[in-house]
Amino acid sequence: MNEGTKVITLLGIPFNVGNCLSGLIAAAIIFILVFWFSRKIELKPKGKQNALEWLIDFTNNIVKANVQDEEGKKYQLFAFTLFILVFMSNMLGLMFQFNAGGVTYVKSPTASPLTTLSLALLVMVLAHFCGVARFGFKGYVKNSFFSPMPALFPIELLEEFTNFLTLALRLYGNIYAGEVLLTTISSMSKAGWLGFISSVPLEMIWQGFSVFIGAIQAYVFVTLTMVYVSKKIVKE
Amino acid sequence: MNSTFLLGAAQQVAWGDFIFYLVLFVVLMALVGHFAWNPIQNMLQKRADKISNDLDSAEGARLKAEKLAKEREDALSNSHVEANQIVNRAKENAEQQRSTIMQKANDDAATLKNNAQQDISRQKQEVLAGVKNDVAKLSIEIAEKIISKELSADDQKVLIDKYIEGLGK
Repeated sequence: MNEGTKVITLLGIPFNVGNCLSGLIAAAIIFILVFWFSRKIELKPKGKQNALEWLIDFTNNIVKANVQDEEGKKYQLFAFTLFILVFMSNMLGLMFQFNAGGVTYVKSPTASPLTTLSLALLVMVLAHFCGVARFGFKGYVKNSFFSPMPALFPIELLEEFTNFLTLALRLYGNIYAGEVLLTTISSMSKAGWLGFISSVPLEMIWQGFSVFIGAIQAYVFVTLTMVYVSKKIVKE
Repeated sequence: MNSTFLLGAAQQVAWGDFIFYLVLFVVLMALVGHFAWNPIQNMLQKRADKISNDLDSAEGARLKAEKLAKEREDALSNSHVEANQIVNRAKENAEQQRSTIMQKANDDAATLKNNAQQDISRQKQEVLAGVKNDVAKLSIEIAEKIISKELSADDQKVLIDKYIEGLGK
């Protein structure tokens, strides 16, 4: 994980190749799966359509728990996409990591703080934007920062930053730690046959646990997203 | 990797990733929305409509069935009444017919009896008249044969009349 990164500069903007490529692969896998699952949609669902509908229902319920029905319908697609993207990003590094010349090209995109900060920034901007769209700028400022009482303004302001940072770093920390441990165990397998034998079950156990963590973190990420959005669009 | 997180570090931050992930997310959301989300949502809407329609039509069918059952029950109870009426009418008719037939039979019997009695008495008269003449002739012949010589015809006649009167009694 701590190997070098390859940074290329396009139009004066530096891009981390490993990070971007992983994100692109995760998104491509998601799109192919979802595209394949949504072929031949029938009134009476069966097989893969059932699976996709279950997933949609799952994320819709997350939205519904935080935002009222009609209002919440606007965020359902957002929550669904966010969930599958974060989930697939968490899983990608468990399935394969690709190193070449000391540079990691494919890993979990969410094991990089830049990725999770981008997603958290997206969420926060969306939440504030929805707040403005709902109450107008004055109403939004009043609702977000000066209620229930104006004296809480510094705390409210600070809370926005902590929300943003914790949302991003929680995800990053979980996935990064999982990948560090996976890499450590896999390097153990290179230390003789005893290390190899003992590392195989360990690796499997930790991979299973990481799948669990990845799913939980994707769920937590989307849930908190909807909580933050609902805090901005519901009058306190 | 840690260096990318510590923003103050000397190394360059690949801030292009921010833009890349924002664009990636928006594009992915658009693609997923177009190819999977909207068809599924349409289908869910259609399914919800169909279910509510089915429920409505099931409710309608249930009401209709109830109505039909009620009608049939009414018809059944009506038919009971009707059947009773029919039976009663038939009984009345039968009673009436019975009395008519009885009456007629009694009348016929009485007529027959009368006729028979009349016949009998007439025949009796005729027989008596016939017998009277025959006996007279026979007696005369017998008497002629037995006592032709001793009795005159007048005496004889007196005797025979007496005898016949005795017969008539």
